[in-house]
Amino acid sequence: MAHKPTDEEAFGVAVPGRTSIPSGDNSVWADVSPLLHGACQDLQEGELIHGDNFNLFAAMSALEIMDPKMDSGIVCRYYSLEEAIENGAAPVPVSVDKTTDIRCIIDIMDHLLACEATWHKGHSLAQTVYSCLYLLQPDRTSSHALLHSYCRVTRATCKAVLSVVSDARTHEEEDLFTMAYGLPLSVDGDEKCLSMLNAVEETISRQLRACKSSSKRRVLEAIEPLQSDPDQEGYCKALLCRLRFRKHLYHLLMSIRRPQGRGLELARKHIASCISEFDCILKSSEFLRASAQGMCEQNIEDTTASGCQAIGFDASLNCRSSAPTPPRSIKILSWKKAVQYFVKLLQDLDIICAYSLDPSLEAALNFVIKFQKSQPDLVARSHLQLLLVQDGKLYGRIPMFALITRAAGLPEVTKDHDIQKNEFMVQLEQLVMNLLKILCTNVAWQRRKLGKMLQDWRVIHVQLELAFKKEFGEASKPSYDELCFKIFQQILMWVEEQTYWIAHRFLILGFELELYSVHDYCMVYWYIYTVLIKLAEKTHLRIVMNTGTAKKKGKKKKDSFKDAGRDYQMPGAVLFLQSQIYLAEGLCMMFSALKNEHVIAAPQSPFNTEHEIFIQQFELLRKACLPDNISYRSFKESTMHANFSNLVMCDYFKEAQKIAKDAKSCFANDPDKMSELRRVEQVAEHNSVALNLICRIGAIDRSLKVSFEFSHHPVFATAIVKRS
Amino acid sequence: MEGETQQPSAPIQENSSDGPRQISSDRVNRVKKLLFRRMLVGIKDGRFFLGGFYCMDKQGNIILQDAVEYRSTRRSSPSPMEQRCLGLILIPSSCRISCHVDCSVEEQLSLLSLNEK
Repeated sequence: MAHKPTDEEAFGVAVPGRTSIPSGDNSVWADVSPLLHGACQDLQEGELIHGDNFNLFAAMSALEIMDPKMDSGIVCRYYSLEEAIENGAAPVPVSVDKTTDIRCIIDIMDHLLACEATWHKGHSLAQTVYSCLYLLQPDRTSSHALLHSYCRVTRATCKAVLSVVSDARTHEEEDLFTMAYGLPLSVDGDEKCLSMLNAVEETISRQLRACKSSSKRRVLEAIEPLQSDPDQEGYCKALLCRLRFRKHLYHLLMSIRRPQGRGLELARKHIASCISEFDCILKSSEFLRASAQGMCEQNIEDTTASGCQAIGFDASLNCRSSAPTPPRSIKILSWKKAVQYFVKLLQDLDIICAYSLDPSLEAALNFVIKFQKSQPDLVARSHLQLLLVQDGKLYGRIPMFALITRAAGLPEVTKDHDIQKNEFMVQLEQLVMNLLKILCTNVAWQRRKLGKMLQDWRVIHVQLELAFKKEFGEASKPSYDELCFKIFQQILMWVEEQTYWIAHRFLILGFELELYSVHDYCMVYWYIYTVLIKLAEKTHLRIVMNTGTAKKKGKKKKDSFKDAGRDYQMPGAVLFLQSQIYLAEGLCMMFSALKNEHVIAAPQSPFNTEHEIFIQQFELLRKACLPDNISYRSFKESTMHANFSNLVMCDYFKEAQKIAKDAKSCFANDPDKMSELRRVEQVAEHNSVALNLICRIGAIDRSLKVSFEFSHHPVFATAIVKRS
Repeated sequence: MEGETQQPSAPIQENSSDGPRQISSDRVNRVKKLLFRRMLVGIKDGRFFLGGFYCMDKQGNIILQDAVEYRSTRRSSPSPMEQRCLGLILIPSSCRISCHVDCSVEEQLSLLSLNEK
C-alpha cells in the first residue's frame, strides 16, 4: 500500500533543470505519468478528456510539437547560437593558416552573395543572409579586418535595399522580404564601412604587388612575410575583385537614391564598375575550383565559386526569433544563379539610370511599361518607383498638376492655376501618383490593382463633372474665367482617356498572365475592341482640341469614326490605335465565325455558362461602367451572325494592315512604336491569309483544324490552319 | 458478449454498478480533475513545455493552453534557460518523456497513492 514517498520518488525521474522551472508557492511537481497511462487505458476509442468549454475546432489549431512545419524550436545540431559559436561553428579567424583563411573567407563571401540573391528573390532575411553566424554577432569579427569590413558592407547594403523596398510600400506580394525583427541589421559604425573596406583593399593590393614582385625576386616591402605560395596571387586577385564589387554596389545604391535623380549618372559608372568586377570574379572561379581540389567538404548546393562548403552558416539557429512559426524550407540559389541574378539586377538598374527623365506623364508611363517587359525583379522595380514618385512629384521635381495639364494638352500657364486647390483635383493628383506606383509592381498584383482603380477614376470624373457644371452651369456668371473653363473641360476629357487607357492595360495583361482560355478570346477581343474605340475617340478629341480644329468637336459614333474622310490627316496616335481596333475586331469576328460554324467547339462546362464567364471576366470594368451600355447581350448581338460567307470579315485584317502601314510614317523616330506596328502588320497579314483559307474551304472541308499562337504578338493571336 | 453481466450497449457511467468500470472511470475522473492545472511536459529533445492542461485523448496526446517552451542554451546542464510563449500546443505521446502537475504536498500524496493502485 502507499507509504510516504521520498523526495526523489516524488519527482520521479530526475528532471534536468527542474529547479529552473519553479512550481508555485507551497507546491511541488508531481509525476502524473502513471495516472495518465492508466486513464488512457480506460478511455474509449475517440473519447477525450476535456473541460466544459472545450472546442474541437479551436483545438485543431494547436501547434504540433516536433512537427517541422509547426514547431520552430526543434533542437537540431546546436541548442543556441552561443553554443554553436562555443563549438567553433564560426571561428575567427577562420583558419590559423593565412592561405586557408583567405580561401575560406572567399567561400563565405560567395555564399553570402548567393544568400543575398535568394533574399532578393523573395525569401526572408533570417533564412538567407542572416544564416551567417558572423553577421548574427557583429562584435566577434572586430579582430579580423577583412571579415569585419566585409560583414559591415554587406549589412549596410542589405539595409539600403531593405529601406528602398519598404519605402516603395508595394511589396505586399513578396512580404517576407522586409521581415527583419530580432536581426542585427543596423549596427553602429556600419556607415563607415566603406572607409574600412578601402583600408582592407589597400592592404590586399599591397600584398598582391608583393606577390608579383616576389615572383620576380625583388626586395619585398616590410610587410607581413608571405609564404612563397604561388596560389597567393590568385587568392589576392579573387579577393580584390569581390571587395571592389561590394564597394561599387554600395556606392551604386547610395547614388541612385539621391533625390530628384541627381545621382543617376554616377550610379551608371558604378554599375559599369560592378559589371567589370563581376567579370574578374567569374574569371577567378576556375582558379578557385582548381586550388580547392580535395581541400574541403564538397558543397552540394554549389553556392560558391570554389565548390567548397562555406564555414559559418546555419539557418536553423535564428529561426526561433525570426517568425512565429517555422519558415518554409528554402534552397539557397546556386553560385551561378546568384551571379545571373545580380547581373540582371545591374542591367535593370542601368536601364533606370539611363532614363532621360522626360517631364511628360505619357513618356513616364511608356517607360515603365517598356521596362516591365524585361520582367525586372522587386529590387529594380522598387528603385524605379521611388525615382518616379518622390515627395508627391514626378522625379521629385514636377508637380502632379503640371503633369496633368500638360498631358491634357493645356498651355503652360495653366499649371499654376488656382483650380489645383479644388479637392477633386487634389484627389486626381493622388490617383495619378497611385497609377505610376502600381505600374511598377509585379504584373499579377498590378492587374488586380488596375482593375480596382477603374472605379476611382470613374468616380473622380463624375465628381469633376459635377463641379464643372456647378461652376459654369449658370448661364450668366459675372466672373467667367475662360481659362478655368478650358482647364476643366480638357482635364475632364483627359481623365476619360486615361481611364480607358487603364482599362485597356487591364485587359491585355490578362494575356501575359494567361488568365484567358481559348474559349474566352472571342469576348476578350470584343471587349478590347470596344475599349480601344473609346480610347481612340478620346485621344482624337484631345489632339483636336490642342490643335484648335473646332470642326470635329462632340462625340463621334463609331461608324462615322471609321470612315473618317481621307482628306483629313489622322494623327499618328489615333492611327496607331485604329490598327489595333481593326485587328481586335477581326479576331473577334473570326472566333465568332469559327464557333458559329462549329469549327471550334464551344466548351460544355457544367460550371459556367458563357454569360457567367463574361460577367466574371469583366466584372471590374462593368462596375466602372466602362464603356457604358455594354452587356453580354450586346456582345452576342455583335457576334452571333458571323459566318464564313460574310467575306466583309476579311476586310478587318486588311484594313488593320493598311492603317498600320500609314501609321508607320508618323513614327519614324520612335523605334518602339515602329516595332509594335510591324508586329500588328504581321499578325494581320497571317490572319488574313488564314481567314481566306478558312472561308473558302472551311464550310466544305470539315477536317480543317484551327489553332492560335502568340508567335508574332503577345496579345493578338495568329491563326494557324491545318488539315487534321 | 458472453459471460459478462453488464448491459450490451451501456456507455461508461459514473454510477455504474459494475466493479471494474467504477475504478476505470475513477482514473479518468482523477485526470479530469487535473484539467486547467499547470502541467509540465518534458519531451525527447530535452525541451519542456509548461501550460494549462486542456485535453488528452486515448493515445496520450496532450494539449496545453498558454504554453511556454523552456530550453537550455547548452547541451550540458546546468545552463541558463530560454523561454518563449507558444499558445495552444499539442504534444504527441510519442515524444513525451515526462509529465508533472503542479500540486500541493497533500494532493501529491493522494495522487501517488492512486498511482500505485
